[in-house]
Amino acid sequence: MIPTLQRPPPSMRTSMPGGAAGRTLMGLLLILWFTLPMIPVALWAVAGRWHAPAVLPQTYSWEGWSSAASSGLFPALLASALLGAGVAILATPLGFMAAVSIRRLPRRYARPVEGILLAPLAIPPFALVMGMNVVLLRAHVPAAAGVLLLLVVTALPYTVFMFRSALAGYDDRFEEAARSLGASKAQSIRHVRLPLLTAATSRAAFLAFLVGWGDYIVTLIVGGGQLRTLPMTLASAASATGNEQLTAVLSLTVVLPPLALLTALLLTRRHGRIR
Amino acid sequence: MSPGPATPPFTGPATFTLEPWTSNAGGLARSAAVSLYIAAASTLLACTVGFAAAAYILAMPRAGRLVAAVSAATIPIPHLIGAGAVGLLLSDAGFLARILGMPDGGFPTFVGGPFWSAVIFEYAWKESAFVALVIVGSLARSVGGLCVSLYIAAASTLLACTVGFAAAAYILAMPRAGRLVAAVSAATIPIPHLIGAGAVGLLLSDAGFLARILGMPDGGFPTFVGGPFWSAVIFEYAWKESAFVALVIVGSLARSVGGLCDAAATLGAAPLQRITHVVLPLALPALAVSGLIVFVYTLGSYEVPWLLGRISPEALPVRAVRLFGSIDLDSRPQAMATALVSVMAGAVAIIGGLILLRRLRGLR
Repeated sequence: MIPTLQRPPPSMRTSMPGGAAGRTLMGLLLILWFTLPMIPVALWAVAGRWHAPAVLPQTYSWEGWSSAASSGLFPALLASALLGAGVAILATPLGFMAAVSIRRLPRRYARPVEGILLAPLAIPPFALVMGMNVVLLRAHVPAAAGVLLLLVVTALPYTVFMFRSALAGYDDRFEEAARSLGASKAQSIRHVRLPLLTAATSRAAFLAFLVGWGDYIVTLIVGGGQLRTLPMTLASAASATGNEQLTAVLSLTVVLPPLALLTALLLTRRHGRIR
Repeated sequence: MSPGPATPPFTGPATFTLEPWTSNAGGLARSAAVSLYIAAASTLLACTVGFAAAAYILAMPRAGRLVAAVSAATIPIPHLIGAGAVGLLLSDAGFLARILGMPDGGFPTFVGGPFWSAVIFEYAWKESAFVALVIVGSLARSVGGLCVSLYIAAASTLLACTVGFAAAAYILAMPRAGRLVAAVSAATIPIPHLIGAGAVGLLLSDAGFLARILGMPDGGFPTFVGGPFWSAVIFEYAWKESAFVALVIVGSLARSVGGLCDAAATLGAAPLQRITHVVLPLALPALAVSGLIVFVYTLGSYEVPWLLGRISPEALPVRAVRLFGSIDLDSRPQAMATALVSVMAGAVAIIGGLILLRRLRGLR
């Protein structure tokens, strides 16, 4: 979920116990905690020779990257990107429509509809997939379409939730005001509704993209090995021993693009706020 | 229909009548009620005792085997023999009355008494063994996985909530350094758990990064990956989910907490007191909700225990997926049963969590 970071109230600074030294130590520990698992990944990705007792790599090289490229990094990258984009393209408008209709429905019907839409969060994904796999096989749905369909269902709770919270603070009278000032229906949608919902839309699309981009279990069970996405390649590298370089390189290729996307999103949001 | 001339009952043309139903409808209804009462009471008792026995059998490795043997032994006894035995046990001058040394008439009439106690006791006794063995048979393999999954989920949730709260407090309190912590924790959010598991493997395995840093000799480093306490699995979940918990708390608190901390400080509260008496209570609903989400997610997640966990006993998702992919088609239904057990465990956790949350809100 994209964090909503607000400037902390300055008066709270003194609430941290431990004095200046303790505060610094705690901050360092927390940063260490959040970055620790990624340190060996970053080192292994550029390590050439790194035998056991050595704390740091003995030689550095791009070996891992070339071996990843030869073991199908680029087709996997493309497959993952397409899957993520497909999930985002389908789940974002569906989430928006669901959020709008929940908002318009009378409360009695809205609650159960919302419950059903959020249900995939409560059901373990592997259970959902194992049950649906039988149905998809009976209906002769192609593997890739089945994976996409199931991932859209998995992503729906996030997009619905994002649009629900965005619409909670959305006032229909903005559009009415624009209409009363002479804007056409299309103009009021384009100049009022879209700008007001851009942040929520990008957040929802980002989350839906992540669902498809990082998925392993749905691709594994429903894809039946035909869909070689990045996580599939990574899983086969990480589950065998002696593949540290490959694991590290593949991990970075999975982690870095969404981080770049997240940074870009945050920067555009800050830019938008200044305007 | 009036009884016609006396005809022998099994000769002549067949006639149809409702008379057998209506002539003594009261007696019929009473018998039906008695049978239903006996069935209901016996079922309730048998299920209660049977469930308790099953839980005992599954929980206690040695004594449980004895209980299982004894209850299995009662299965082949016919009900007629059971009824005779219960009669000898519970009748007016039966074994129990003699043991208790009850005077004549002081012992309640179980056999032939008003509440059909002896009958219900006989059914409950025999059927509880059946219930226990069915439960044990259906759960025996899954329940080990359930325990492992619950342990992993509980430990990860606890750790993630603790670190997450500390991180949130730090982010809220420190303007500059807090922003760095917030950025780092936000950056871990989009990392898929599969990547996290691979990274933790590189960090914590026998010849991993940590072992190298600490300069541990071969064999001196504890087995975190695939070790007996699932430490690597729990660490991975705690690492990723603590970032989630921290950001949920920061998002829910940011506006309200500063002024209240000021007020508490004016009233003489020490820094730690402000954290535990002001920030923690305000963060509690967000902490509980995110904890519940983490718990349910951890319970049903596959990748991490698969990469970092033990082979035996396996966590529920690992077992389900292994059985599902097995070439032996008979294991499909077992896979589905395992999946259902984890769905039910998740549902129980959610319902319990929501009840707790409601109570939490009531307290405030």
